[in-house]
Amino acid sequence: MSVREATRLTAPAQVAPAAADRPRQKRRDGQWWVPWLFLAPALVLFVYFKFIPMAQAIGMSVQEVRPYLGNTWVGGANYAEVLGSDGFRSAAWNTIVLAVGQTFGSMLLGFCLALLVEGQTRKLTFIRSAAFLPVVVPLAVVAELWRIMYHPTGDGLINQVIGLVGLGPSGFINDPHTSLASIAVTGIWRGAPYDMMIFLAGLAGIDRGLYEAATVDGASTRQRILHVTLPGLRPVFAILFVLAAVRGFRTFTEVFLLTNGGPNGSTEVVMTLIYKLGLEQSRLGVGSAGAVLLFGATLVLTVCVQLLRRRRAA
Amino acid sequence: MSAATETALGLTESKGIGARLAKFVIYAGLFTVFAGPLLALLVGSFNHVSDPTQLSVVPRTPTLDNFRIAFDHGVLRYLLNSFFVVGFGLLLQVAVSVLAGYALARKKFPLMTLVMVAILATMMLPEEILALPLTLVLADLPLVHLNLMGTLAGMIVPLGAWAFSILVMTEFMKDVPRELEEAARIDGAGELRIFGQIILPLCKPALGVIGVFGFTMIWDQYLLPLLVAQNSSAYTLPLALRTLRIDPAVTPGVVLAASLLALLPSVLVFLFFQRSFARGLTSGALKG
Amino acid sequence: MAAGVGLALVVTACGGGGAGKAEQDPSAPLELWARTTPGGDGEKGMKKLAAAFEAATGQKVEVTAIFDDFETKLSQRAAQKDLPDIVMNDSSQLGTMVSQGIVREVDLSAIKGSDQLLEPALAAARATDGKTYGVPYSAQASALLIRKDWLKKVNLTAPANWDQMVALAKAFTTQDPDGNGKADTYGLAVPGSTKRGYASWYFSNFLWAAGGDFIAKQSDGKYKPAMSTPESVAATKWFRDLACTSKVVQPGAATMDTPPTNETFEAGKTGMYVVGPYLMPRFDSSLGKDKYEVVPMPKGPKDSTVLAEGGSVYLMAGSKNEAAQNAFAGYAISADGQKIGMEGEKAFIVQLPVNKSVDITTVRPDPRWKLYADVYREHGRYAPSIPNWTPVRQSTADTVNALIADCGLDVDAELKKLDQKLTDTLSQQGVNAS
Repeated sequence: MSVREATRLTAPAQVAPAAADRPRQKRRDGQWWVPWLFLAPALVLFVYFKFIPMAQAIGMSVQEVRPYLGNTWVGGANYAEVLGSDGFRSAAWNTIVLAVGQTFGSMLLGFCLALLVEGQTRKLTFIRSAAFLPVVVPLAVVAELWRIMYHPTGDGLINQVIGLVGLGPSGFINDPHTSLASIAVTGIWRGAPYDMMIFLAGLAGIDRGLYEAATVDGASTRQRILHVTLPGLRPVFAILFVLAAVRGFRTFTEVFLLTNGGPNGSTEVVMTLIYKLGLEQSRLGVGSAGAVLLFGATLVLTVCVQLLRRRRAA
Repeated sequence: MSAATETALGLTESKGIGARLAKFVIYAGLFTVFAGPLLALLVGSFNHVSDPTQLSVVPRTPTLDNFRIAFDHGVLRYLLNSFFVVGFGLLLQVAVSVLAGYALARKKFPLMTLVMVAILATMMLPEEILALPLTLVLADLPLVHLNLMGTLAGMIVPLGAWAFSILVMTEFMKDVPRELEEAARIDGAGELRIFGQIILPLCKPALGVIGVFGFTMIWDQYLLPLLVAQNSSAYTLPLALRTLRIDPAVTPGVVLAASLLALLPSVLVFLFFQRSFARGLTSGALKG
Repeated sequence: MAAGVGLALVVTACGGGGAGKAEQDPSAPLELWARTTPGGDGEKGMKKLAAAFEAATGQKVEVTAIFDDFETKLSQRAAQKDLPDIVMNDSSQLGTMVSQGIVREVDLSAIKGSDQLLEPALAAARATDGKTYGVPYSAQASALLIRKDWLKKVNLTAPANWDQMVALAKAFTTQDPDGNGKADTYGLAVPGSTKRGYASWYFSNFLWAAGGDFIAKQSDGKYKPAMSTPESVAATKWFRDLACTSKVVQPGAATMDTPPTNETFEAGKTGMYVVGPYLMPRFDSSLGKDKYEVVPMPKGPKDSTVLAEGGSVYLMAGSKNEAAQNAFAGYAISADGQKIGMEGEKAFIVQLPVNKSVDITTVRPDPRWKLYADVYREHGRYAPSIPNWTPVRQSTADTVNALIADCGLDVDAELKKLDQKLTDTLSQQGVNAS
């Protein structure tokens, strides 16, 4: 049960408005310009600092960008170059695999973490802060720390740990077969605390009385989680699924810092490809074309997710 | 009467040696996995020469020089700049997001979905691509023809537009029951009262989330301050970290020392905001 | 949205083909951009040179240091048709800057003292059309750094040829030269990452000395890919054997760029490193001057050619004071300017002088600097100035990286694939020889 349903039980005096009241209710909801007034500050900032640059970037994608000499129109040539580039297909595949792996890994681990560290005791506050640390450490430092831990010989930290259970030393990021998984693990290590925070916020919004009621009814822990906790986390799952689509495709920095797409293109993702083809060589037109492709894919995915949610809610 | 369960797992209730041991092992494991590598950061910042193949528990060549060198490179000034930018930027961001979230969550109006999708869409284009167009806009704001390059406003104002905090506020605000709002309207409350006294207080956990994440995001902002700053005295901390990292004359210990200084405020902010999402709501809050 | 599209169209419309010669104003101050970290030593050194120039000529110079956002800020100024007067940037950026039309041609006769410039440096400042677009002011070349204490422990001397180098690397790897009882030392430090083409950048110190090449200049001035020539193949096989067969390269090399690789040398994990002189101050402090020595690269199958790089003074297009631009360039390469540029423990902007008449020992008595200066003059070779060297460096780095990471790959096949990619790149830039 969510907070919403619980309130319906505790406020029985509220009567659902009769049909005849509806037109009046609409007007009581506020004047038509109220939502726009509340949105105004956001819209102004977004138009200036997001939408206008975005439109320009999309414009650049069909041009060869030469700021001094003036841009020239090249139509689809930039797109053709990105799509036809060696390794685009494998980069796209790697991006999808990494996005799915990191998203679900972070969500699952984040959820378990949140369940384990929710609560008010001092000890839990301490553990919570410790679990939050991966989020605040600068990504460059995270990459260096993990590079050390991923040292490919038997002396490397993680190799020593997995050696305890008899698994051989792995090349991790240096071995084309394990590099993508290694990056996913680093991404999950950083992403799980992030998701944990959002889960904690959601868990905090669940009525404690419901837990009490469930325990009285003799529900086991598992049933409690299934029937009280999960439904109460609706907003969290909504947020996380949207973020998954949006952030997942844009994975760049961890890959760039750890492997730069190597070895042998095994960790190349679309963003590192765009960086190599476009930004590193100051060919902004090509870079923008790649970014617009990524944008299109993400937009399609997000719209689908939103439509699915609306259909479910209807 | 059975004890009320404070948490989903109800771990705080379990007593007995077996449960305590299991809890200890799990929490110790958590601590090691997530905080362990950071102890390496701490140790490394006191190390003169770091071994790139091992994470040391004790500095082998202990020194305080790393911090001194970091300060010599102006880290303190960048720290203060960062505080200034974050202070105002976060305020702006939270205010903008909370207002926008209210409209998107509690109101129905035409073009609503379009606005939501457009806002989400801003998270889909990587910032590096937007760098050049953004500098062109900042150098000459359309309609008002202001030049924000080199100004603090240029570093702070664009931060107000962050889709993540709008997303979080919207989803959490959607969850507040209609009945409360309607009851308040019947009592004659105006829009602002409903917003400030009914909806917002029930979204404290969400505010905590956008506070912490907003802080971290602005604190770690790299591209915007880089583009806007005209000289290095206006730099914020992430820029300093990057320059330290690529300077071949600087040893890694210095970078770690600077990183340590960089992450402390975020940790403090987290500790501060923790209370808002540790405390659960009880039904008592909703009655009456 | 409309405003954005409008803006984009305006940028296109304004372009008609770069600005013509701007109205000259001989008293206008020079705006100088240096590609170095703001607040860092490079900026200090640059300001020192600018101040000396001002004192000598009375011409005002304003120095701005920019690093990470250099391209973006330069593009922004380019879009506003208001470029700085002078840009101090890497020599390797010549092709890109010329393609963007933001540098103007240099008339060497108008630059005082240009006849004193070393030829390799000058050659690197020429674009494929044969015209000069920059004035080199600093140079560097690679030499071999070896752990002196390890040499003594394994009872060997600095290698004079590649065979000796491999033998030394093997000794460092197997004979526990740091005496800690663990097999944790390796012969050669290699930054094998594809980031910024490091693998290729490092490999050029070996490829050219073996008689191989990335791309070969033909008689018509155009280039042909050359990674499948017998010499290139042999050099690549030799290099990859270091990593795959004799295993004398540090583990994890395939994902390391220069910072972690530097660390392996100073932390005593590797015994040899091929780098330029700029790391000496750091290694002196972290490792100790007495622990390592600098020697010229051993002779390869052909010679001891090493990678040379440098910085150039670029005279930007549309400047209001071209006379002052020429004067500054002339000062930077003059004996005085070079000496001032080299002064200072850390805040120096000239590594090795490009002026024939300048002897580095007059400013830097440390004999290791003289060694580097001699290595540069005798064995230094720059990357070719094709319109855009970056994609060539990137593709080659991808291949070298793949070969040292995946020891099962077939060298000949990979090099043939590389040549194919290089052909495409060269065609795209219009310098592919048919």
